[in-house]
Amino acid sequence: MMRTPQPPDLIMAVLSVDLLVQILDRLPDSGDRKSFRLVSRGFLSAEALHRRALRVLRREFLPFLLRRYFALESLDLSACPALDDTALAAALHTAGGCQGLKAVCLARATGIRWRGVEVLVAACPRLEVVDLSHCVGIGDREAAALAAAGGLRELRLDKCLGITDVGLAKLAVGCAVLERLGIKWCMEISDLGIDLLSKKCRDLKVLDISYLKVTNFCLQSVSCLEKLEDLTMAGCSQINDEGLRFLNNGSNSLRSIDVSRCNNVSTWGLVSVIEGHKCLQKIVAGDCFPELVPLFLTKLSGLRDTLNVLKLDGFQVSATSLQIIGVHCKNLGEIGLGKCRGMTDECISELVTYRADLRTIDLTCCHSLTDNALVTIADHCKKLTCLLLESCSLITEKGLDHIGTCCTDLKKVDLTDCAVNDTALRCLSPCLELMVLKLGLCPSISDKGLVHIGSNFRKILELDLYRCTGIADGGLAAIAAGCKSLKKLNVCYCVRITDQGLKHLSFLEELSDLEMRGLVHVTSAGITAIAVGCKSLVELDMKRCYSVDDAGLWALSRCSEKLRQINISYCPVTGVGLCKLLGSLRCLQDAKLVHLTRVSVEGYEIALRASWDRLKKLKLLSGLRHFLSPGLLQMLRARGCRIRWVDKPESFCLPFSLLL
Amino acid sequence: MDPKLRRTSESAAKSCAQMMGDRSRNFNLGQPFIQCNPTNLCYGGKHEQTFPEFPSALDTETQSLYQPEHEVKSINQFKPSPNVNNAILDWDPRLVLSNLSFLEQKIHQVQDIVRSIINQEGQFSNRANEMVAQRQLVTADLTSIIIQLISTAGSLLPSMKNTLVSTNPSVGQVGSIVGARTSFGINGSQQQNEVIHMEVPKASAYDDLIEGFNNRGNEGSELIKGLNAQGNEGDELMKCLKSCEGEGTESIPVEDHEVKDCDDGADGENLPPGSYEVLQLEKEEILAPHTHFCTICGKGFKRDANLRMHMRGHGDEYKTAAALAKPHKESTSEPALIKRYSCPFVGCKRNKEHKKFQPLKTILCVKNHYKRSHCDKSFTCSRCNTKKFSVIADLKTHEKHCGRDKWLCSCGTTFSRKDKLFGHVALFQGHTPVLAVDEANVSGISDQVQGNEVINGMVGSMDYNFASSTLDDVQILNIKGVDDGRGCFSPMNFDACNFGGLDEFPRPAFEVSESSFSFLCSGSSNFIQRSGDN
Repeated sequence: MMRTPQPPDLIMAVLSVDLLVQILDRLPDSGDRKSFRLVSRGFLSAEALHRRALRVLRREFLPFLLRRYFALESLDLSACPALDDTALAAALHTAGGCQGLKAVCLARATGIRWRGVEVLVAACPRLEVVDLSHCVGIGDREAAALAAAGGLRELRLDKCLGITDVGLAKLAVGCAVLERLGIKWCMEISDLGIDLLSKKCRDLKVLDISYLKVTNFCLQSVSCLEKLEDLTMAGCSQINDEGLRFLNNGSNSLRSIDVSRCNNVSTWGLVSVIEGHKCLQKIVAGDCFPELVPLFLTKLSGLRDTLNVLKLDGFQVSATSLQIIGVHCKNLGEIGLGKCRGMTDECISELVTYRADLRTIDLTCCHSLTDNALVTIADHCKKLTCLLLESCSLITEKGLDHIGTCCTDLKKVDLTDCAVNDTALRCLSPCLELMVLKLGLCPSISDKGLVHIGSNFRKILELDLYRCTGIADGGLAAIAAGCKSLKKLNVCYCVRITDQGLKHLSFLEELSDLEMRGLVHVTSAGITAIAVGCKSLVELDMKRCYSVDDAGLWALSRCSEKLRQINISYCPVTGVGLCKLLGSLRCLQDAKLVHLTRVSVEGYEIALRASWDRLKKLKLLSGLRHFLSPGLLQMLRARGCRIRWVDKPESFCLPFSLLL
Repeated sequence: MDPKLRRTSESAAKSCAQMMGDRSRNFNLGQPFIQCNPTNLCYGGKHEQTFPEFPSALDTETQSLYQPEHEVKSINQFKPSPNVNNAILDWDPRLVLSNLSFLEQKIHQVQDIVRSIINQEGQFSNRANEMVAQRQLVTADLTSIIIQLISTAGSLLPSMKNTLVSTNPSVGQVGSIVGARTSFGINGSQQQNEVIHMEVPKASAYDDLIEGFNNRGNEGSELIKGLNAQGNEGDELMKCLKSCEGEGTESIPVEDHEVKDCDDGADGENLPPGSYEVLQLEKEEILAPHTHFCTICGKGFKRDANLRMHMRGHGDEYKTAAALAKPHKESTSEPALIKRYSCPFVGCKRNKEHKKFQPLKTILCVKNHYKRSHCDKSFTCSRCNTKKFSVIADLKTHEKHCGRDKWLCSCGTTFSRKDKLFGHVALFQGHTPVLAVDEANVSGISDQVQGNEVINGMVGSMDYNFASSTLDDVQILNIKGVDDGRGCFSPMNFDACNFGGLDEFPRPAFEVSESSFSFLCSGSSNFIQRSGDN
């Protein structure tokens, strides 16, 4: 890296590094920062000095980046393809260790094993936060290596399937100051491990033991954690009321509890939890027991000043019960009533009459709600930011008109399957802050509605138009013109869309996630336009785009450098295109390659070998299992690639054809 | 007694007990009932032998019982040795003399009775009922006389009482001789085909008995001569006692047996002593591999059912349904006495002479107990080579989890159960469970053997990886540094690879052994390199 010294930039004489850092403090956007560091070498070094967090997208640059950004505190390697122990060790060694690094995210870094973890822990002495979630190969050895990081405060191990009680014990002994721990789906962990954890890690504040096969005994141990504030135990079906009663021993400071989908928990268990903790802020109790008994409601009134979040999905509710909640829970900001039976307009009015400061209301699948409910909500909850109305099929533009006029702070609206039309979208137009809008299964929405969206919702990030069969290229043009910051777009089965529509979409430079299943009129020309235009594309789903051929794949492999996930199932591509695609895309980690009828076994073989060190997830027809060479499959697995074999008959009777 | 079975190192106390044991085995054969059974008395002129046969039962040469010249032999053998007596006992010779003469008188009485039986035998030979009544009378007479004989003989040993009351284990044996004899007299009609049932009076009863000996001894001083002439019994008794006394110091540690073995049944049940019948099998019987023998060919079997199956080969008469059927127990009208078993090892808590005797419930318990507590542990676990067992079933149980469920703590302590290990880890600061792989690594020879291959494979892949990067030269140099310094590319790089655990779909059920995997890895990297070249 020795270079001849260059004459100092003139601009650097004016702007000292201090000032540049100050400027950088005021530049939150990554694009702006990119422009900043491209100004000059001085700016670049100032940016390197200032940068604290880094997300790496290419493995080959990791050593270089680590050396340049020596002041990093947080490193995200979750999107780094083909990262394995050797690569990580080499990078860390090149960088001479990361003394300041505090947080490392290795989520889904399936190539990392205990050697890598060991090297990482040795190189980063100040490590406090580690995320290893969804690294399904992680087991006790990795846990033991991680346990050497004594200062660890936060650890996520979701779905690390290999970790057993022994691994957890290693962590518990090694990381005694652990404060936050997630071991969701670590199915091998049992009561014994949790018991030891709660004896060793006395500082634990947040614990997630969802879906573990733990029993009441585990809660008895957990309840003695004095600092415990947040306990999540969704889907722990072996825990019942007796276990919850252990929590009521007064020796913990529980603020939040999640018992959703715990089949054996009843009202009485929750009542005992509420009795013991007068400062409970969050109760999530969806889908665990069917009925709200009056005792539970009266106990809720004891939490009047603290309770902020209450999720009661799937309960049988009545006007009285919701009235009690509405009257007593003065601090309630979020309520979840999805799939509640007995939900009527009256219930809603009883709830919202007293609760003007509700921010989030989840009414998913409350089928009998009408416009009246929306009117009452609009009248009372002026600060509403999130309204979920999926499958509330009785609501019309009248109700949404009230919402649009009164709740102008709305950021997220879900109208999936609500049969709304273009007028409804016009009614929502005052909600200028809208960022997420879901309009799936609303076939009556046409290009006119999309024009409303494009002209009003400039800040929109996510738009779902799944099976909005009424829309066509013109609507997409309006969206592309108006919603410049759009990141996620779903136009699956909007079969009227053609290449022209995709050409419009190609102006969305921020677009990272495009789902366009079943667009039968789209050809490789459209895909090429997207590939060339949408430089940020990370995820592309073009399953059943029957007209896309190798040319589209060539364009993608040439232009979409950031593409990480792709679904080209049922596309008439050949082995050549596939090989080019898998061989060229350096970031590609997830490929779904089902029913590629024109690709031969050799084509698969060569293409997969060309991509061998990057793929983490692969979906293939199970018939191929016997034709692909075992060596290839073993090699893929060794690199952390998980192959999902599907056994689907190729169906030509397409479901969406009924909607045409 | 079979000399092969006796071990020279065994204490005299033990051998004494075995001697007693042998005697009781002779009872098994029905020998003591010769004198009670008039049909046996037709041995003719040998009627006088019946009494001397009691002491001869104490003889170690059991076969000699059946030999005609036995009496002579036994008398010769057990001639009283004054030296010995003087050396051990300080007793009043006149008192002894009177006792001996009393014994002599008594023995004459017995002789008379037996003679009269012989005389009457001809008269009552055709009248069975009278025979039986007569026999009972005679038996009762005999019994009372024998008791007197023994008690007098016992009083011949003035210092004996103290010895008897002490904790010497053979005391019980002495008592049991008496007890057994009395019971023989009373239960003359009892079937004796099976193992002998010996009634054991309580330990306190022995003391009473001995006191009785002394009292009686005082009154019959003139009968000492009789004992001198005939009674080997007293001598034998004394001999026995002497040997016990001599080894008294050694017999105390034997009591340590009561500390261990609290297994094998009967624990926890509080049967009052005497409410059950105590049986005692002999060592040979316990250790015998077979307990059922074919009467025709002598082949042994563990189970009677197997013997019955075997018997079919000896003729058609054994093939009948009746012969093959399970011989159901004679359902006597009286409720069956609860049977409990005693260990033949004197000093053992399971031995009936022990102060805190705890009986064993079944014969199987006896067998297992005896093998576990008093036999060599000859079965060694082939896996760990440390654990030894005397019962083969114990070995099999151990082998089931030997080495497999070994839970190891970082401090080196091992646990057979996971929860115990976790309890230990929770208790001690800094202790952690040891992973199975760490353990394997210590002795991981296979890793080293295959190391080269793996490294080759790794280098291949590394070349590929970094050839494609833009900074190749520096990279490769650095990698070498890492390789030397940290050993990141050691063979262990891949051994922990787990090709399983997929979230939505089932775990593939195959694992790659290290060698095959390393081969594949290098091969595939080669492939990639070639394709890159193309």
